[in-house]
Amino acid sequence: MPKLVIEISHSPFGHENAYAALFAAMAWVSMGNEAVVLLRGEGVHVGRKGQVDPFKNIGLPPTEKQVTEVLEMEGRVIADRRALQMRGIRAEDLIQGVEVLDSGEISEIMIKEGERFLTF
Amino acid sequence: MVESSKKKTVAMMLFSAPFGSQYADHLCRVAERALDKGYAVEIFLYSDAVHAQMTEQNPKLFFPVGEAVKRLIEKGAVIKSCEICSIARGYIKGELKDGKKDYSSTKVINGVNFCSIYGFVDLLSRADKVLSFGGS
Repeated sequence: MPKLVIEISHSPFGHENAYAALFAAMAWVSMGNEAVVLLRGEGVHVGRKGQVDPFKNIGLPPTEKQVTEVLEMEGRVIADRRALQMRGIRAEDLIQGVEVLDSGEISEIMIKEGERFLTF
Repeated sequence: MVESSKKKTVAMMLFSAPFGSQYADHLCRVAERALDKGYAVEIFLYSDAVHAQMTEQNPKLFFPVGEAVKRLIEKGAVIKSCEICSIARGYIKGELKDGKKDYSSTKVINGVNFCSIYGFVDLLSRADKVLSFGGS
């Protein structure tokens, strides 16, 4: 199965990047392909659970729903451990199914599986 | 030079608007070089990058992205633009007209096509190389 690696380094709500990335990931996995979404830097906020109805409050959709859909379609979503630590985000603050890996492990994935690599 | 019978496809995604950064410039330069080397080039304009399709761009001091886009099309590049991003930014209406979506627009450079994210995914699955420009 063709693989796609997508890196998100922007937080949701402030930029369109996370949405655009997750739409691409959802479309890719919905066609039976493998996708790995890497949350790095500010992008780790994309994986936080408990987003309080952002569509109602600020007119933007929750990335929580999109991430969950990617996971349900067997895509992988991985958050950078150091980026989480720097922001005081714990593994238990993340959406169920989001993996936490060290940057070295993430680099391995990029090298091994990044035959198609997109940055957002 | 890539032999035409073995022509490889390079997919390029642009995610940033022209002039605000140099990503569009870089993409145009790489795309033109790839075409010159015999690659098939297919480009997807996503998010704010759809502004690269605008007619009558007139940058006085910056790289002329609009002219480069026209030249790439003349040289055979396939340029597809995100339909929903283009509707959101007022380039097309995308409404059904005689059973087909209406993509006519005086605001868009001739030769730019439109597709959904699934068109981009199709390109990703076909391409031999994938390059991504922008994101900040």
